Amino acid sequence: MADTHAPHHHGNRVEDRRLVTGTGKYAADWSLPGQLYACFVRSDRAHAEIVSVNAEQARKYPGVKRVYTGEDALAAGYTKYFVIVSYPGRGGKHIIKPPRPVLAARKVRHVGDALAMVVADTAVAAQDAAELVEVEYRDLPAVVSAEQALAPGAPQLHEEAPGNLAFDFESGNEEAAGAAIAQAAHVTRLKLEVSRVAPSPMELRGCTVRYDAADGTYHVHVCIQGINMMRKQLAAITDVPEDRIVVHAQDIGGSFGQRSAAYPEYVAQMMAAKELGRPIRWISTRAEGFASDTHGRANTVTGELALDRGGKLLGLRLDWISDMGGYLSATGSASHTRNPSTCMTGVYRIPALYGRFRLAFTNTVPVAAYRGAGRPDMAYVIERLVSQAAAELKIDPAELRRRNFIPKEAFPYKTPTGSTYEATDLHGVLERALKFADWKSFPARRRRSEKAGKLRGLGIATVIENTGAGLFPKDQVEIEATSAGGIDVYTVSQSQGQGHETSFGMIVAQTLGVPLERVRIRQGVKPLIGNHTGGSRSTAGAGSACKLAALKLIQQGKSLAAERLEVEPSQVEYAGGVFHTRGSKRKVTLGELAGKKPINVMAEGTFGPTFPNGCHITEVEIDPATGVTRIVAYNAVDDCGNVINHTIVEGQVHGAVTQGAGQIFGEQVVYDRETGQLLTGSFMDYCMPRAGLVPHVRMQDYPVPSVSNALGVKGVGESGCTASIPSLANAVMDALRPLGVPPVDMPFTPARVWHAISSAKQKSQ
Amino acid sequence: MAKVTIKVNGTNQTRAVEDRTLLVNFLRDELGLTGTHVGCDTSQCGCCTVHVNGRAVKSCTLLAAQANGAEVLTIEGMAKKGKLHPIQQAFSECHGLQCGFCTPGMIMATAGLLKDNANPTEEQIYKGLEGNLCRCTGYINIVKAVKRSAKLLRGKAR
Repeated sequence: MADTHAPHHHGNRVEDRRLVTGTGKYAADWSLPGQLYACFVRSDRAHAEIVSVNAEQARKYPGVKRVYTGEDALAAGYTKYFVIVSYPGRGGKHIIKPPRPVLAARKVRHVGDALAMVVADTAVAAQDAAELVEVEYRDLPAVVSAEQALAPGAPQLHEEAPGNLAFDFESGNEEAAGAAIAQAAHVTRLKLEVSRVAPSPMELRGCTVRYDAADGTYHVHVCIQGINMMRKQLAAITDVPEDRIVVHAQDIGGSFGQRSAAYPEYVAQMMAAKELGRPIRWISTRAEGFASDTHGRANTVTGELALDRGGKLLGLRLDWISDMGGYLSATGSASHTRNPSTCMTGVYRIPALYGRFRLAFTNTVPVAAYRGAGRPDMAYVIERLVSQAAAELKIDPAELRRRNFIPKEAFPYKTPTGSTYEATDLHGVLERALKFADWKSFPARRRRSEKAGKLRGLGIATVIENTGAGLFPKDQVEIEATSAGGIDVYTVSQSQGQGHETSFGMIVAQTLGVPLERVRIRQGVKPLIGNHTGGSRSTAGAGSACKLAALKLIQQGKSLAAERLEVEPSQVEYAGGVFHTRGSKRKVTLGELAGKKPINVMAEGTFGPTFPNGCHITEVEIDPATGVTRIVAYNAVDDCGNVINHTIVEGQVHGAVTQGAGQIFGEQVVYDRETGQLLTGSFMDYCMPRAGLVPHVRMQDYPVPSVSNALGVKGVGESGCTASIPSLANAVMDALRPLGVPPVDMPFTPARVWHAISSAKQKSQ
Repeated sequence: MAKVTIKVNGTNQTRAVEDRTLLVNFLRDELGLTGTHVGCDTSQCGCCTVHVNGRAVKSCTLLAAQANGAEVLTIEGMAKKGKLHPIQQAFSECHGLQCGFCTPGMIMATAGLLKDNANPTEEQIYKGLEGNLCRCTGYINIVKAVKRSAKLLRGKAR
């Protein structure tokens, strides 16, 4: 049995030293000489016309330099917003991208919409003055549910988007799926809510912009997922050429998709930095974060799964409604159309698939990618449908899965929605997981729980997801070997906690056969082509390029060594940082070769998508008296391809599983249905996971190396979310179903679970 | 304005600050000790945890003026002469951190927790860290790191 603590690398990441000693550098730790401080005035209404903004008192406040409003944004022309979706939807119609002034002008569309920016000598002066800005609103009716926003007569957010419909996208074959469902012996139907959550990285969003008038360059110090994506977006919004925007970042305090966007605040700061000639610093508060950092998920999905009498899947039809919030974010529309549709068949052979995806505007914070970005949502829908069907047909849920898996010989498998899954072994993963979780003895464990007055449930999810999508066509990595023997590796991917300095360092060190200590990973300091860190792509993309660059360095070193050693390059051999001639003792080190001038090599590559997959089997115990649910077993068998660093992979799975568990058991952004007020605006109201929510995760690797990249790795950053959300939900439903509880939506809070149990009891009496 | 003297990591620091200045802002903005982080505005996240007169305290819950005359220990004061404190070492060894933003607060909270209970159970660790949020690790390796810290510290003490 493979041990997840294989002797690869035990903690002690390269980046840890500075992070445990408090010497990391996050967005709020940049302090530029002469900086001014910005504070934003935000809408306290969900939907209103702005009648007037009176900043007279604020302007007079000591220390205030300037107050910007939506009119300044309009005058600057900063009203575009970058949205990555460019593919057409249903009937060839394109996504509607209404204007979004970087400071709201004339209308506000969600609580927290920034409509003015006060710039002052100190942070507190800016904050004090912001409170003096008087805004007169004319209230409009608000809508905070996507389904309601699409209904006739709903309040309209953007005149460009009639009926609040931003995008109508479809995937698969409508006719075929319809026919399969009409003719099937059994159809399982579920309407499921994938609740809106706040990604909440612990670092507060922040940005400091300096404008260098000498060369017309903006220096943007900001929390990011990669310099290139940030720069591309800022340039698209402002029309400033990309080479006049330099993005700086060192340490990023988590991201989960939320830090990939160029938020309007940053552009407003660019405007002020240029005009006022001094750096402009802004650090968000957590309250602002809840009301302006993009949210995640927020989908309402109606699913119909058709089966024959033998439990064979025949067709799947989904009506998927996504809440986009008040404006389109950069990533949200892709996360809720292309991403889920690429893995709509899940791990199953389903002949007929059809999904219709409608994206709606509502008076809420914009929704963007959040760990998994549509793929956990899709896995949740499929896996709940499959487990529900198993219960309805009285088939063991593992057996129903087994019967319908894409068989090993069908790989590479072209799905009905246009993905090509690379090889994996679904049956192998399942059988391993069933054994690992001791599936067969569950009834005994359930009886034991029953004796203690508890309800025990067993949940399973078998999932797959496509990873590795990117905005840029290739990933470049540069390596510089220095005379001191150092190996500096330059990449434009950006760790937000994933530990690139360690895993990329290991890739280079292992390829070159040198100690890890000699390799230094430098992120975002050289202008290279390459993708940001997101969509679980960095090791497959930038990591592969690291390996290719290291191999190239050896090749180049061999030619240089041949000259130095006065032999043919074919006579030169390399090992452990040293070049030597075949059969003789003459040698030269990499460092010596780099003596006069460093050796530079650059490698690049385009690496295809990877398809990590796995089976997570979980058990929960519910106290029927309180509705409190505890996770009592968590077993994960994952195929994430080859593993570079087990400890880091394990950490990624722990974190993603816990984020999934957070969503399942408590997290939810709640808006007041009438007023559109945000009811979960702080950590007092928003239920973050705490220590003990997921006490343990037992893990096993089932690696089937990927063939789409140089390392054989598959993306692992998000797979824990994708699997934990359906697995835990299925475990809860398994515990409740015997009481006659009908399907329940997440989050399974104690109150919701308790109510479900009591109403089932009342009905049965 | 308030004139405040606080002994931070063994050195007396005197500054004149606005009355409303929080201890965390005093540390970060006046002294440049940016290892103490701010992750919320409601004293929930624990990223700003430091020790005040030997007790773990969220430095956003205290005005700098209230800490006048106190002894404050921040994350920057934990390592001695370049040698990591056992708790710092344990967090790194156990991969108890990913992005590192909550880490200084976690380490200071752990130091406080272990002062009260040198050998806590998992349940006691969950309780002890209730006031510290982490979004990356799922806490599993943090709990491991606390246990390892306890072991290292006990070994050292005896």
